[in-house]
Amino acid sequence: MGPFDPSAAAAAAAAAAAAASSSSSSSCSGGSAPKRHHHHHHHHPPPDLDGLLAGAGYKVRSSELHHVAQRLERLETALVNSAAHIPHLASDAVHYNPSDLASWVDSMLSELPSSSFSSPCLPSGFPDPYSPAAAALGGGWVDHPSCSPHPQPHQNVVVPQQPQPQQQQQLTVVTALEEDSGIQLVHALMTCAESVQRGDASLAGSLVEEMRALLTRVDTSRGIGKVAGYFIDALGRRLLGLGSAPASAFENEVLYHHFYEACPYLKFAHFTANQAILEAFDGHDCVHVIDFNLMHGLQWPALIQALALRPRGPPLLRLTGIGPPSPDGRDVLREIGLRLAELARSVNVRFAFRGVAASRLEDVKPWMLQVSPKEAVAVNSIMQLHRLLGSDPPRDPPIGSVLPWIRSLNPKIMTVAEQEANHNRPGFLDRFTEALYYYSTLFDSLEAACPVQPDKALAEMYLQREICNIVGCEGAARVERHEPLDRWRARLGRAGFRPLHLGSNAFKQASMLLTLFSTEGYSVEENEGCLTLCWHSRPLIAASAWQAAPTVVNSPAGVINHDDNNNQLSCSPVPMLSIETDIPSSIQ
Amino acid sequence: MVVPLNMWVLISNFKLKYNLLRRPDGTFDRHLAEFLDRKVPANANPVDGIFSFDVIIDRTMNLLCRIYRPAFTEEPQPSLIDLEKPVDAEFVPVIVFFHGGSFAHSSANSAIYDTLCRRLVGICKAIVVSVNYRRAPENRYPCAYDDGWLALKWVSSRSWLQSKIDSKVHIFLAGDSSGGNIVHSVALRAAEAEIEVSGNILLNPMFGGEERTESEKKLDGKYFVGIRERDWYWRAFLPEGENRDHPACNPFGPRGKSLEGIKFPKSLVVVAGLDLIQDWQLAYAKGLEKAGQEVKLLFLEQATIGFYLLPNNNHFYTVMNEISSFVNPNGK
Repeated sequence: MGPFDPSAAAAAAAAAAAAASSSSSSSCSGGSAPKRHHHHHHHHPPPDLDGLLAGAGYKVRSSELHHVAQRLERLETALVNSAAHIPHLASDAVHYNPSDLASWVDSMLSELPSSSFSSPCLPSGFPDPYSPAAAALGGGWVDHPSCSPHPQPHQNVVVPQQPQPQQQQQLTVVTALEEDSGIQLVHALMTCAESVQRGDASLAGSLVEEMRALLTRVDTSRGIGKVAGYFIDALGRRLLGLGSAPASAFENEVLYHHFYEACPYLKFAHFTANQAILEAFDGHDCVHVIDFNLMHGLQWPALIQALALRPRGPPLLRLTGIGPPSPDGRDVLREIGLRLAELARSVNVRFAFRGVAASRLEDVKPWMLQVSPKEAVAVNSIMQLHRLLGSDPPRDPPIGSVLPWIRSLNPKIMTVAEQEANHNRPGFLDRFTEALYYYSTLFDSLEAACPVQPDKALAEMYLQREICNIVGCEGAARVERHEPLDRWRARLGRAGFRPLHLGSNAFKQASMLLTLFSTEGYSVEENEGCLTLCWHSRPLIAASAWQAAPTVVNSPAGVINHDDNNNQLSCSPVPMLSIETDIPSSIQ
Repeated sequence: MVVPLNMWVLISNFKLKYNLLRRPDGTFDRHLAEFLDRKVPANANPVDGIFSFDVIIDRTMNLLCRIYRPAFTEEPQPSLIDLEKPVDAEFVPVIVFFHGGSFAHSSANSAIYDTLCRRLVGICKAIVVSVNYRRAPENRYPCAYDDGWLALKWVSSRSWLQSKIDSKVHIFLAGDSSGGNIVHSVALRAAEAEIEVSGNILLNPMFGGEERTESEKKLDGKYFVGIRERDWYWRAFLPEGENRDHPACNPFGPRGKSLEGIKFPKSLVVVAGLDLIQDWQLAYAKGLEKAGQEVKLLFLEQATIGFYLLPNNNHFYTVMNEISSFVNPNGK
C-alpha cells in the first residue's frame, strides 16, 4: 500500500521533460477499500503560480484556480451532506504534500463515494433553499463559473509572480537571550571570517587570539559561547593549514554512537526512512536494502522487526552494508552483519548480509552490490550524499557518477537524510555564517535535550569534527558539504529521480517519537512531501524519499515503453572479489 | 460584492482544513494540524528589505517570538549581521503581534502570518515581534494571555528597541481573531502594572457571549464561519465548565470588569461586515467608548474574515494605512 501507483506512469511521460517542476502524486489510503488517486502535474512547463497564494505556502497555478475552487465547493457539499465523511478524511486517510492544494483537494474527493456530491449549485436532498450550503454556494457573493449562467470570473489582476528563489539565500537564526559579550564574540567571528576570505591571514590570526581572550569572559557552557569556542579553534587550525584532525574509523564510530544517543536527529532519520522503506516493500517477497553507511547498523533492527510483523509474512531480506575497511584484521562489517542476522533469526525473518568495504562511497561500483532483477531495492543514505559534492579540481565531484549508478539499480525507493543547511556555498564568509548559526542551534538543542554525560560531550565532539571540516578544509578534503532540501530536489530531479511524498502518517509517527524526548523544543515540519526535524522552528535535518523516474524509450512504432524492473539493470551476477563477506542465510 | 478568486480559495481551504481538525468530543488533531500548516523559517537575509529571526525569550516556558526588522541601510549584504543592533531612528513603533487561529490554529511561523508581519513592517516602518503563544485545547485560558504578558515584558525591557527620541520602547499590541482578544487582556494587565502601551490594534477580534446576536443568526454559515464552530473554540479555550460570558470571551458582558478610570491604551478596532461575530466586536468598541476610553472603529461593510491575509482588495489597503497612521506619532 504505497503512495505511488506504477500504472499511472503514463502521465510521467513528460516527467523527464519537466525535471524542474515538482511532481505531485498523492493518494489517500485507508478504510476498507483502499483507493489510489493520482494527480500528476508533470506534463506542464514550469508552473505559472499564483504569487499571493505562494506567499501563503500554497502552490497553485493561476490557470487552475477555478478548478481548485470548484473542487473545494464539491468537497464542501459532500461534507455538509454527510458529516460522517469528516472523521474518515481526518483519521483514516493519509494526506500528502498540502502545498499542492489541487492534488490535496482532489485526493480527498477521491476518498469519498461519488454519490456524495452532485452539481454544486443544487445540493440534492436539501429541501431548504436557505440552508447554509445553498446560501454559500448559490448566494452569488463570489462570481463563480459553476453558479452563474455566464461565467465572468473576477480574476484578480495581480500578475502572478514566480515565487522568489529565496531558499538559497535563507539564513535562519534562533537565538536565546544573549549577553553583550556574546554579541561581541559574534562580531569578532564574522570579522575574522571575512579577513580569511580576503586572504588577510595576519589580521585573522590576531583576531583568533583576541577571541580566545574574549572567550574567558563569556559563558562557554551554553549558547553562542559554547559553539564559538569550536569555531575559533577551527579558524585557528585553518590558518595553520592543519585542516581536520585525522580520525580513525573507530573514533568515528564511538562519537557517532554517542551522537545517536544524545539527540533525536539520527533516530528521526532512521525512523522516517524505515517507514518509507516498509511502505515501498509492501507486496514484495524479495527485498534488498543497500545502506551507504552501516556503522553499527542501528537503523536495521527496527526494520527487521517491522518486516517480521507484516500481515502476509516477512520477505526475504538482504542487507548490503557499506563501510570503511577495518584496520588490524577485524571485520567490523561482518560482525555487525552477524548480529543483525541473529536478530532476524530470532524473529523468523530470512536474512542475508553482505558487507562492502570501501573507504569512499565513490569507490563502490554497482556490480559489487549484486542486485538481482527480481528484488525490490531500497537505497538508504543517511548523511552521506553531501560527502560526494567535493573534489580537487579539475576532477568533477563524484556525485556525478554515483547518482547515475544508483539510478541504474532502479531502486523501488531511495531514502535520503541530510543536514538542512547551506554549508557548501563557495564564499567562505557565507559558509562560516551559516555554519555558525546552524551549529549554535544544534548545540542549543543538545544542551536542552541531553543533560547526560558522557553522551553529551562526545556528541559535541562529533559535531565539532563537522565544524572543523567545514571551516578548515577545502577541495576533496572538505566532505561536510551540506546543502538544503531545495538543492537536493533539483539535483536528484536532474539525475532522474522523482519524489515519493512522506505523508501525514509518517509525520504523526515521527512527532510521537519526539515526545519520547522530554524536552520541548523539537518539532517535525512538512515541506512539500519531505519531513524536517526542527529545533524551535529551525529545520535541522531533512528526510526525503525518492524513486527512479521512468525513462521514456520511443520504439519505432511510436509506442512509449516504460522502464520497469526487467530492463536496464547492471546486475548480472559476476564472481565477486574477496572484499565481500557473506553471512549464510538463516533459512535457505 | 465579489471576493477575489485566490482569496476565496485560500479561506475555503482553511475552512476545510479546520473542519478536519476539530473533533466533536472537544479534542483537536494537533498532528494533522501541524502537518497541514504551511510554515516558513525565519530569514536573517533581507527579503524586500526585511529580515527576521527567532528568539527564545523564555527558556522555562519555551516561548518563542519571531522578530521582523527593516534591513540596515549601511549593510545591504548582511554578512556582518547584528540582529539585535539598537534601533537607529528617532521613533520606531514596536508592534507586538498575536496571530489568529481562534486560539487553536496557526503559529508565529505560519506562512500567512509571516507574510502579514512582513507587510506590517514595510507599511508601518515598524519592528514586529510575533508571539508564538500556547494554544488551546491543550493549553486553556489563561496560557495565551500569560505568554502575551511575558512577551510584553520582554519587549519593554529591550534597550535595543528604544526609540532614540526618548530612549523608550514604543509598544503597540496588535492581533487578529484570537490575537485581537489577547491584545485586550494583555493591555489590561499592562495598565494595571503600569507598563505603557501606546495603542491596541484589533483585527476582527474574537469575542462572544452566551446570547445569540442578530449578526450571528443572520450570517451563520454564510461566509466561511458558523456559530457551532465558534462555540467549539470557546469551549476549547475557556476553563472547563465555563460559559461564554466568562470575561475573557465577553469583556463587557455581565461578568465583565469596568474599564472606567483605567489608563487603557487607545484602540483601533477593525470589523468586517460579513463576519458573523461583528455584533460582539461592535459591542466591544462601544464598551470601550462608554468607559471613556479612546477608540476608533473601522467598519468594512463588504469584508469577510481574513481579508487582510492577501493584499488584493481595497479593505487591505484601507486597514494597513489606518494602522500605519495609528502607530506613527503624526497620525492619530
